[in-house]
Amino acid sequence: MSKHHHAVSKGGAGYGKIAVAGLLATSVGLLATAGVYAGLSATATGSESVTSGTLNMTLTADGTSSGFSTFTPKMAPGDSDNVYVNINNTGTLASAAGMTLAVAGSPLNALTNGSVAGEGLTLTATQCSVTWTVATGVCSGTTTSILANTQLSALSTATALSNVPALVAATGQLAHVQFSLGLVATETSTNGVAPGSTIQGLTAALTFTFTEQQRTGVVTNQ
Amino acid sequence: MKDLTHRTACRTVASAAVLLLGVAIVPPLAGAAGLRGTAVGNESVTSASWGVTASVTTMTFTTNTDQTSNVTNNGTVALVAESYSVTVSNPAGTPTFKAFQCAVAWVSTKCSGGAGTQVGGTLSKNSTTTITSTTAMAVSGLLYLQVEPATVTASTVVTISTKIAAPSQLRAAVKTNQ
Repeated sequence: MSKHHHAVSKGGAGYGKIAVAGLLATSVGLLATAGVYAGLSATATGSESVTSGTLNMTLTADGTSSGFSTFTPKMAPGDSDNVYVNINNTGTLASAAGMTLAVAGSPLNALTNGSVAGEGLTLTATQCSVTWTVATGVCSGTTTSILANTQLSALSTATALSNVPALVAATGQLAHVQFSLGLVATETSTNGVAPGSTIQGLTAALTFTFTEQQRTGVVTNQ
Repeated sequence: MKDLTHRTACRTVASAAVLLLGVAIVPPLAGAAGLRGTAVGNESVTSASWGVTASVTTMTFTTNTDQTSNVTNNGTVALVAESYSVTVSNPAGTPTFKAFQCAVAWVSTKCSGGAGTQVGGTLSKNSTTTITSTTAMAVSGLLYLQVEPATVTASTVVTISTKIAAPSQLRAAVKTNQ
């Protein structure tokens, strides 16, 4: 038993020597190869600095207007609620020619959802080349229509405004815009009671959402 | 442990799929939309209501005695005119009726000692006629109607229905700059 064990041990030592020799040879080879590849090296460095632009738009009151707020009087058919607002391009990028407006009413009712045919709120938007004279509603400069008289129910989805040149030209520009809300109704009340489908005695909180796109991307070769 | 490994593998595959989907979808959208700026404004509005009520809408005449009805503007907007649809029943005989209005209450069938202002013409039996007053009425304002019969020989019913039509019978439109 002991003899056999000795023979086995002797054979294992032989294999071990062979393994160590193989590993040494491989290491030497690898080191030699690495030395060849690492020997030559070259780097070059260039620096380019870029800053991204911003596209920002804000709404502020124009002139002495209180801007978008709460219209306290109860609107009768034919009445107008004129609000004067500056649409400001406050970012560092010019906007593209297109701008959209969507108006949402809350709660949804006949003032804004078109459920009573031919009745409800309407909106007209007009730009003035200078600040509006709010007290009289007069533009002493040049007026440009950016939205013809439109039922508010048609503005539930974003609708393109036309002719918004001041915002297209460059950053830091603003547009002086009059938003005129009107009420259309042709209802007859009987014995002091409004018809079943009516726009009378309703309240709507209107959210005006303006959206602009950045100007077209520019390719610069320098 | 095996189950946990399996679940981890599934989650990894799912995450990879989502990432690939995102990579596939986002670039085209971003390329098309670029930067977008929005600004939001809020305005609240309330609409008016309009109408008038009559305190008495059905009058039964058996004699030639005048009867009155008070008309109230129960809307939230002033009026410039009011209409009444007057229906006269079809009794025996040939009764006729006239409607008068007064700015103050009738006293012993007199309007401040006078006859008041006639609204419309003479109303015959078996008819429905719309008559219109062009008297301005403030919100919650009152008008006093008096129906004056003639030659009543049998019970006759006169029914009054008020009607306010927009925009013609409402105050003039108002433009508010704010």
